[in-house]
Amino acid sequence: MSDREAAKKQAQLLKELRNEHEETVARTQSLLKEQGKTERDILKTIKEGSKTVPTIASELDLPTDRVLWFLTALKKYDQVQEDGMDGEYVLYKRREE
Amino acid sequence: MPKKENEEIKIGVYTCYCGGNISDVVDCEGVAEQLAKFPNVVVSRTNMAMCSDVGQSMIEEDIKEKGINRVVIGACAPSLHEQTFRGTVTRAGLNPYLYYHVGLREQDSWVHKCDCDGASVKAVRLMATGLAKAQLLDPLAPIELSAEKHALVIGGGIAGLKSALDIARRGLRVTLIEKSPFLGGRVAQLDTLFPSGENARETVHELIDKVVSHPNIVVYTQAQVKNVSGYVGDYQVGISQDSRGVDDTNAEELMAACQQNVPDDFNYGLTERKVIYRAYPGCFPHTPAVDWENYDGKPLTVNGQEITLENKTVSIPLHVGAIVVATGFNPYQPRRGEFGYGELPEVVTLAALIRHISLLNEGEELTWNGRPVRDIAMVHCVGSREIEGVHEPQPDGQVNNYCSRVCCTATLHMINSLKERFPHLNIYDLYEDIRTYGRGHEEYYHEALENMVRFLRFHGDDRPTVETAAAGDTHPVLVEMRDHLTCGEEVEIPVDLVVLAVAIMPRDIDDLVRMLKISRGNDRFLAEVHPKLRPVETAVPGIILAGTAQGPMTVQESCAAASAAAAKVSALLSSGQVELEPFVAQVDLEKCTGTGDCVTVCEYEDAIAVKEIEYEGEMVLKAAVTPANCTGCGNCVSACPNQAIQVQGWTIPQYDAMLDAIALDFNELMEVAE
Amino acid sequence: MRKIQVDALVVGGGIAGMQTSLDLADQGYQVALVEKEPSIGGKMIALSKVFPTLDCCSCITTPKMSAVAHHPKIQLLTYHEIQAIERNGSGFKADVLKKARFVIEEDCTGCRQCEYACPISLPNPFDLDYGATKAVRVPFSTAVPQYAVLDIENCILCGKCAKACPVDCIDFTQQSETLTIQADSIVLATGFETTSRLDKKEYGAADNPNVINAMFMERLLAPTGPYGRVIRPGDGKEPDSIAYIQCAGSRDATLGVEYCSRVCCMYAIKQAMLIAGSLPLADITIYYMDIRTFGKGYEQFYQNAKAMGIQFVKGKVASIKQDESQNPVLRVELIDEGSRVEEITHDLAVLSVGMLPHYDPEAVFKVSLGDDGFVNIPHTNAYPCLTEQAGIFVAGTSAGPMDIVDSIVMSGSAAAEAAAYIEGIKGSPSPKEKSEDVYA
Repeated sequence: MSDREAAKKQAQLLKELRNEHEETVARTQSLLKEQGKTERDILKTIKEGSKTVPTIASELDLPTDRVLWFLTALKKYDQVQEDGMDGEYVLYKRREE
Repeated sequence: MPKKENEEIKIGVYTCYCGGNISDVVDCEGVAEQLAKFPNVVVSRTNMAMCSDVGQSMIEEDIKEKGINRVVIGACAPSLHEQTFRGTVTRAGLNPYLYYHVGLREQDSWVHKCDCDGASVKAVRLMATGLAKAQLLDPLAPIELSAEKHALVIGGGIAGLKSALDIARRGLRVTLIEKSPFLGGRVAQLDTLFPSGENARETVHELIDKVVSHPNIVVYTQAQVKNVSGYVGDYQVGISQDSRGVDDTNAEELMAACQQNVPDDFNYGLTERKVIYRAYPGCFPHTPAVDWENYDGKPLTVNGQEITLENKTVSIPLHVGAIVVATGFNPYQPRRGEFGYGELPEVVTLAALIRHISLLNEGEELTWNGRPVRDIAMVHCVGSREIEGVHEPQPDGQVNNYCSRVCCTATLHMINSLKERFPHLNIYDLYEDIRTYGRGHEEYYHEALENMVRFLRFHGDDRPTVETAAAGDTHPVLVEMRDHLTCGEEVEIPVDLVVLAVAIMPRDIDDLVRMLKISRGNDRFLAEVHPKLRPVETAVPGIILAGTAQGPMTVQESCAAASAAAAKVSALLSSGQVELEPFVAQVDLEKCTGTGDCVTVCEYEDAIAVKEIEYEGEMVLKAAVTPANCTGCGNCVSACPNQAIQVQGWTIPQYDAMLDAIALDFNELMEVAE
Repeated sequence: MRKIQVDALVVGGGIAGMQTSLDLADQGYQVALVEKEPSIGGKMIALSKVFPTLDCCSCITTPKMSAVAHHPKIQLLTYHEIQAIERNGSGFKADVLKKARFVIEEDCTGCRQCEYACPISLPNPFDLDYGATKAVRVPFSTAVPQYAVLDIENCILCGKCAKACPVDCIDFTQQSETLTIQADSIVLATGFETTSRLDKKEYGAADNPNVINAMFMERLLAPTGPYGRVIRPGDGKEPDSIAYIQCAGSRDATLGVEYCSRVCCMYAIKQAMLIAGSLPLADITIYYMDIRTFGKGYEQFYQNAKAMGIQFVKGKVASIKQDESQNPVLRVELIDEGSRVEEITHDLAVLSVGMLPHYDPEAVFKVSLGDDGFVNIPHTNAYPCLTEQAGIFVAGTSAGPMDIVDSIVMSGSAAAEAAAYIEGIKGSPSPKEKSEDVYA
């Protein structure tokens, strides 16, 4: 079958599976929405300049450990990198391409 | 095996980060970049851990897909992963000896931590030597030899017995030799074993029964190793066995007639025995033996006849594939005056106390030298955890800086047993740290607390002292110490008996160590190849360790190690074949003129000889190597006036190339092939 | 249904399971190694460096993992779980579930494109949930096998991973399968888990992320750790002053764990030495009850640590509170300083947690447990690997807390016992004439 047909078949399959796994999909989708917002906020604020965890946490009114977790995720998947230290805290910036 | 004619050399060079161990100091990426410029280098890669499956797969793929036919890996020491990478290369279809290992960790990053730049330059140079050698590597084949499916176990204590049994059950033959006339070792001297409370003699005798009745096992008591030669799969061992001196027909009479007594070592000198003796009631073999070392040679009168006992030593030659060393331990003998030992009669070692208690009759009171005992002080760490500069060294100049592992639990076990049998006893336990680490061990500590044992804690550099009490005092001995459980107060403890929890020391097996060419660690115990990865093997292939010869262990740990040793022996011998490394001398018959200089300098029996052979139609004298006996030391290489010998895999031309790599400018090196 | 016939079935792919498999396979026996996680490696692959040699953990574990994966006599079955065992003739029949990865294994190259494409970030169990991973991922960088696995419970089924996969190996329709394994013998090597940092309420870990589990410190110190450096998880600060609380999950009747977990003194000292290397200016204090450095080279390791300036303070930490910056405040009786009680503030508190058995084999293997919850060994001294079931042996921490060295030795022991047992079933090669001579 052609690529287009294959893609259509896959989309249909996923739709059916999403119905089958309704509960977990719903739970995960809402988690994704929340995560997405936080990640976007963090990426936006460090675009202004490299920042530490406490600074970001204070600006976004989030707990510091949560901010650290998100930065860790973003760093692992190459969206954020370190930019030196500010005293005892690491400065994070957006990863340069 | 000559390399293929006109084969284009394609080198894959791999620089490992070693999890940071190398990359923290050496700029691995920079090194890899430089190496890519060297002649014949087709790929130059790095990896966080080259030995990981990912790293190895990368190398395998390069060999298969890019036609890499020479591999150079810069990583940790060869002793760790040379074998690993040989396996990688073999799996990819390349001869394992077309790979060369460069040590960048122990020889570079770990010794130049303060000079990252220098270390990185050195790394390039070290790898350059590898690349230079890689150009001249030849495919080699390991030497395959048949292996004797027969193991020798040295030592008839619990570790030796267990090892012998497990090897035999696997279907291999075992010869077990024991130096003393009786099997059972140190476990036979114990009363009950922790953590189960089982009877020690019953436990070891269960093993003895299985060993002596197993069809695959032969046991020789009063037997020792006299000489060893050969290599894994084919060791020739000369055993010397003393005769028992008496037999079942005359033993009882001769024992009765014997008037010569010596201190009984089995009871640490607390009792005496005759020079014709049994170790203990129910010992195995049951027949008594003559203590040849102490027998005065005088005849014994039996039924009017004079009989002089004779030791008819016999030699037993053995042909074995592997050797298990299970020679056990000695309890530490404190110096005269150490905690009053040997000066105050009321000071005894824990080992001796165990014997003393075992020899008491049911219901008998606990006395010492005829005096009833009520107050006892147990002192931990005697001869262990010593600090250089603080504690007096042992006769060899070293302190015993190790922990003897078993004594905390053994001491608490003794305390609880004493309290159970003699509830009126008042016991003080003087310790540095309570190390009841094992499964079921902490319970002994709890029980001691419930038994109202008084615990006092000293610091290692400030140990208790033991003094004779003043005349007329209630007790004969005073123990003084600073107790840190009561704010560092100086206390004086009057006691009837002081029990020293003495260290575990290795036995004096210098001769055996020399014959087997195995090594000892700083703690004087036999050394394993790698404490983490290969805990029961020595650096000599085919020689395996079992039990306390290697370090302090509980009975359980000794049995586990003995079984693990059996598994290693089985892995070596069960296929009936062993492989030796191909790094042996090889004679170039064209250059050899049969001068025999090589034979003169060779230190290994039957490794090289000059023989008359037919060469190019004539009978001429040429040197011939017996690969199995050659260790590849290279003496012959340097002695030969015609430079006719090379050690395979380590040839002079290879060394010349490596030296050039060290001496020449990098630019010159990189231009060479272009 | 697929049937596999082997000499030995090894349950668990940590260091004990791997070593036992290798020791058996090297003797010529066919082994099936079943591991319920998607990769072998157990706890050891997650550690930083090992004591007392300070070898890098990855460096010594990955070759074992690789050797197991490539050994001609070992069948490696990851992401498989044993459902039931019954005796069958002279051996055992195991019903095994092969769980669905939703990835076609033969095609997967471990490239991780799926992982990068996935939109969901999830707590990473390999980093004790402090780091992140995706719903579809290769479990960790040195995983064996290097196949991706999809966590369908946390997946929105968006299909991005399938689109990103260059070899089209994501299969959302994959089903789990069952198979049977017929084996002459079984070795249990199911390992341990640690006690939780939350267990002792007095240590306030529930409210304070800067009171961490020592296993997480291993991850901080490991080269593949979540942050790439040692920072505290509360706010990412580099700690100046680190406290170790020994026996934080052992030797404690209030927690129901009265035994000693054996490895914690050594791992705390090891971690302290590594931290001293990584953060040279940090102060490290180890608060202890007894220092149990009993093994070969261990006492020397302890003395070296003291010489390096690591502080050892005798005193069991009673409680941990926090100040306004979430710095842990320890309340402890200082035994060697006149037994006075002090409150001491540190940046980071590491709880030296204890070991618990990871798996209860009673239901499936009919092997009973001791009072401490680990597998019962009826003849613990002379036969340390034998359970009460003939033909079922045990290796590693399933039999009680122990370190890597003792696990490897015990694995050799289990291999020897299993081999002897297998020979007993097969019938040993006919013995030679037994010599009568025991002595001259």
